[in-house]
Amino acid sequence: MSAPAAEQSHAPRLRVTGIDKRFPGVHALKGVDLEVMPGEIHALVGENGAGKSTLMNIIAGVLRPDEGTILLDGEAVDILDERTATTLGIGMVHQEQALVPRLSVAENIFGGHPPVDRLRVIDRSTMLRESKALLVRLQSTIDPRRRVESLSPAQRQTVEIAKALAQPLRLLILDEPTAALTLTETRHLFQVTRQLADEGVAILFVSHRLVEVFQIASRVTVLKDGALTGVRATAAITTDDLIQLMVGRELSFDRDRRRVPPDAPVALEVRDLVAPPIEHVSLSVRRGEIVCLAGLVGAGRTELVEAIFGDRRVESGRILIDGQPVQHRSPRDAVASGIAMVPEERKESGLFLDMSVEQNMAAANLDLLSTHGLVSRERLARLADSFIKSLRIATPDRRRKIVYLSGGNQQKALLARWLMREPPILIVDEPTRGVDVGAKAEIYRILRGLAEQGTALLVVSSDLLEVLSIAHRIVVLSEGTVAGSLDAADADETTILRLAAPRSLETQGVAA
Amino acid sequence: MSEASTRVVSFEPVPGQSHPSNRSPGGRVLDLMIESRPVLLGVMILVLGTYMAVVHGTRFINEANLASVLLDAAQAGILTIGMTILMIGGAIDLSIGAVLSLAGIVAGIMVKEYQIDVATAMLAGLAVGAVCGVVNGLIVTRLHINALIATLATMGIYRGVAQIISGTGETTIGHGFSWLGQSDFLAIQYPFWIMFGLVLLFTFLTSRSRFFRQFYFIGGNERAARLSGIRSDRVIFAGFVLVCTLAALAGLLTASRLDSAIISAGTGVELKVITAAVLGGAALKGGSGSIPGAFLGVIFIAMLQNALIISRVPVFYQQIVVGLVLIAAVSTEFLQSRRGR
Repeated sequence: MSAPAAEQSHAPRLRVTGIDKRFPGVHALKGVDLEVMPGEIHALVGENGAGKSTLMNIIAGVLRPDEGTILLDGEAVDILDERTATTLGIGMVHQEQALVPRLSVAENIFGGHPPVDRLRVIDRSTMLRESKALLVRLQSTIDPRRRVESLSPAQRQTVEIAKALAQPLRLLILDEPTAALTLTETRHLFQVTRQLADEGVAILFVSHRLVEVFQIASRVTVLKDGALTGVRATAAITTDDLIQLMVGRELSFDRDRRRVPPDAPVALEVRDLVAPPIEHVSLSVRRGEIVCLAGLVGAGRTELVEAIFGDRRVESGRILIDGQPVQHRSPRDAVASGIAMVPEERKESGLFLDMSVEQNMAAANLDLLSTHGLVSRERLARLADSFIKSLRIATPDRRRKIVYLSGGNQQKALLARWLMREPPILIVDEPTRGVDVGAKAEIYRILRGLAEQGTALLVVSSDLLEVLSIAHRIVVLSEGTVAGSLDAADADETTILRLAAPRSLETQGVAA
Repeated sequence: MSEASTRVVSFEPVPGQSHPSNRSPGGRVLDLMIESRPVLLGVMILVLGTYMAVVHGTRFINEANLASVLLDAAQAGILTIGMTILMIGGAIDLSIGAVLSLAGIVAGIMVKEYQIDVATAMLAGLAVGAVCGVVNGLIVTRLHINALIATLATMGIYRGVAQIISGTGETTIGHGFSWLGQSDFLAIQYPFWIMFGLVLLFTFLTSRSRFFRQFYFIGGNERAARLSGIRSDRVIFAGFVLVCTLAALAGLLTASRLDSAIISAGTGVELKVITAAVLGGAALKGGSGSIPGAFLGVIFIAMLQNALIISRVPVFYQQIVVGLVLIAAVSTEFLQSRRGR
């Protein structure tokens, strides 16, 4: 605003030039430049594997570059490690949060450098007072004495930002900060981010959500395959321009206007299902139909699909497949009745990270791949190769460890795992979370193709653009119940959001 | 600005981190040894064997000594097969030594005190092992108690039971009990051949069979395995029954070979067995391991112990050496995971 804003014009806060970094077999960054002005919110975008994380980690001192220079306020700096970065005033809010759950908010904020008194004993009252002050600066009412494990993801993020602010902060790196946040929380985060920028902090904002890039950033740097493809002012470009810089080809997210024949039989029906936190949910999915479950984080969408898939205890209500009631005591039962599910947490619940692409595909198909109890390697190889080809999974070969694949290709491999079974019903929880734009379009193509072939699809998604572009029908959940069901043709973002808002919050809004 | 932060930057590629493909031939052999456990173990066995042959000559290279190395390996080998499979699934069983002793004692008492025929007694011994496995499996999969703790507890319980029913054990059992353990084929005693047959069988099963492949998935990511329709509880349960039945078999062979079932049989064998499994590539976090690797691990340890005996190293030092080998083997797991990044 005042003094820092005046300085803005001359020197960039961060100037990175010619950064080069190689890992065994990968040229991760090829002479990349980046410039962030004081008080600027600068976005860094690129597909997965484009080199964003590597670049961020170099700036934050986690990795060291092979070549290149880093200037901070015009001075060359050698960021040896994370500690040096902190001393220099560089803070980073990690995607995988780096707090100690069992310690208090205040202890986390001060980390290894708590305020001490003359006897070098930790001065708790000063620590609490200063923590409180930092949190107030971030418009947060979190009690600094609370343990971090009791906080919501959004509150934890606030604590991470407060931690960065505990030092004189010059540059704040936000890595996919909105991934785990609700819309309200995202709005609040943006408000805080703008405020910090106004105070003169340079912000580097990394996100897959292009909408957010346009909302918050003034400039954007685009990386593709480790190289710089452009720096643009967000005011001067469109989303399509940005996507083109990222992928080097045109993509469209048009709505699928095809309708499902109204007489298509119902494949999956849920009647009055109770499985806490799910309360009395009913819904149905017809063959060839894509039904999207929309709603806020915590609305119970994942819990609902877990209950259908036998991974959560059902208290009452019925699940019918092709009109026949079924009971799923375990995922195995659900698989046996023709349901497949790609879970939300890819690393935690989906992938076998140390195993090959083909073994990952085999996991759900040992029965199909075996004769007389012996797994046929030839059959697996043939199937794996054919899916790698048909789903365009980018991997050198089927024996590659899946951990080396990008998020989008990992997701496609998980789809392949289930598609091998040709399931009549497919549940996909957050099909494109952490997936780059190019792979997103491909995943949509795959899901649409499945629907055309008659698969019934139930898709959980927090991405409204995604919901609007792939769904035939949208079921909105709120606080564990169905808040509304919309035909995709009549749906728009506002209607979905209005339905998704929890009642309690709405009344609060009216009161305020 | 502090001194550290103002230093001018110049980043040179670090020599040690050069690309793998431009390594020297020696470096590539090293890579292969680190990548493939069986190759590494083969080299280690060869080096140790050559050293012993050169230094100790016929005191090491003679039929009786080599046969005794292989016989020593029989007990640990059978145990290591089961342990490796369980470790692949992310579990572990510390009670195998106690099960080994209990099974031998039950069969020994039946033959010596009750004149029950040897075959029936041996089957009963195997059944005792299976029951121990059922108990371990139920505690771990139903009560959801950590396998390490659960089997630490049953280790004490099983050994206690063995002590109650037999005191110190049965010696000179007689009645042909020792036939299985003391007969030989091609100058090597049966226990080794039984172990070798089991190694071949389980090598095949762990690489090809639908049932045993499931252990890799469960150990790799239990939740992902369950969500892929694998009944991980049942598989792990079966793993415990298998490892304890194999432990009982090892106990019967040991008792038969000595014609005695003693309470202290198999004491401390867990150390040797886990070391061999880890040497053979089993990771403590589950998801990896191989039967051929574990077999070579067992042979290596048996040979190492033999080498220590021939070199007149006091017996207590042997345990220290095996302990050091375990630490070395686990640390290579760590190094390997760092290389993989």
